[in-house]
Amino acid sequence: MNLTKQEIQFIDNYLIKNEVKFWDVRIELLDHIVSAVEDKMTNDGISFNEALLDVHRSFGNQFIEFGVSKDKIFEKGLYQSNAGFKKFIRNKQKEIGRKHRKAYWKTFVPFITSIRFFVELLLLAIVTFVAYQYSIKAGLFAIMSGIFISEFTKLFYGGLKKFKSKSLNIQSAVASSLLLTQLPYWLIMLFNWNFENAEVKPYYILFCLFALLFVFSRHSVNNFIKIYNTYNERYKLLIS
Amino acid sequence: MSNSKLYKGSLNTIILKLLNEHDKMYGYEITQKVKALTKGELKITEGALYPALHKLEAEGLLDVEVAKVDNRLRKYYKLTETGTKETVTKLEELAEYIKTMQALVNPKLA
Repeated sequence: MNLTKQEIQFIDNYLIKNEVKFWDVRIELLDHIVSAVEDKMTNDGISFNEALLDVHRSFGNQFIEFGVSKDKIFEKGLYQSNAGFKKFIRNKQKEIGRKHRKAYWKTFVPFITSIRFFVELLLLAIVTFVAYQYSIKAGLFAIMSGIFISEFTKLFYGGLKKFKSKSLNIQSAVASSLLLTQLPYWLIMLFNWNFENAEVKPYYILFCLFALLFVFSRHSVNNFIKIYNTYNERYKLLIS
Repeated sequence: MSNSKLYKGSLNTIILKLLNEHDKMYGYEITQKVKALTKGELKITEGALYPALHKLEAEGLLDVEVAKVDNRLRKYYKLTETGTKETVTKLEELAEYIKTMQALVNPKLA
C-alpha cells in the first residue's frame, strides 16, 4: 500500500513540528517512516495513525499513554516527546563533523603541494610585501584579507539561501568560519599583550602565524565547495 | 536490536556483509532484509541502525547515493573500495570470534 501525497506531506510536517528542521536529515527519516508505515499498513492491517505512532516510538520517542483519552492518543503521542529524533540529529551532527575532518586532512597535502595553491600563496606574499612597504598595519591587513576572503566566501554561500542554512551538512561545514574570522584579532591581541614593552616588536611572528592560518583557511574553502555542490544537487532533486 | 546485546558488536559487520551482497541498499531495506534472513530473530532498531550507517559513512567505508522515489528522496548506501576491503577483514574477524566461542561453549563441535 502506497501512501498518498497528502499523507507523506503530513509526515514531513510532523517531522518539522518535532524539530527535525534540517532537510538533509529529514529526507532520510521521511523515507524510513513512509516505508515502515506502508509496510505496517499492508502486512499488519493497521491504520495510518496506528502505524505512524508505532514508527514514532521505534525511533526512541517515548509516549506515556496514561491519562490520555483514546481519541487524543494519536495527536498527543506524536508530539509528546522527540527525544529519539534529537538523539538521531546529535549523532548525525557528530558523524558529519568526523566525515568533514577526514575529507579535509585527506586532501590537505595534495592541495598545499599543488601549483594553484603555490600561485595563490605567491600572490598573497607579493601583495603583503607591497603593502608592508607603506606600513606594518597595511601589510598585516593584506595578509589578513587572504583569510577573510576564504572565510567570508564560505559564510556568504553557506547562508545565501534558506535551503543552505537549513542543511546540517552545510551548517557544519561553515561552523569553523566563525572561529577563523575571530582568530586573527585574538592573535593580534595576544601579540600586543605579550610584546607590550618590547622596543622592537617581532612582527614577523604575526606574519608567519597569519600565513599559516591562510593555508588552513584556504584549503577549507575547497572542501566547502565540494560539500556545497553535493547538497545543492540534492536540494534541486528534492524540489524537482 | 530487540533480542540480544550479543548482536550489538556485530552490527557493522552485518551491514557491511549485506551491502557486499547487494549493490546498494537504503536504511529500511536493511532492517527488513536482516529480519527476513534471520526469520524475525534479529530486529535492528532505528536507534541502532542509523548511528552505525552514519559512522561507517564518516569512516569512508560507505558512500551515499540519493534518488527520487515515490515523491520523496531515498538515500542509498553502498560500499566504497575501502569498505569492500574492510568487509573481508571484518568477516574473518567474526568467523574467528565464532570459532573461539564455539571452542569455549561447545568444545566437541569446535
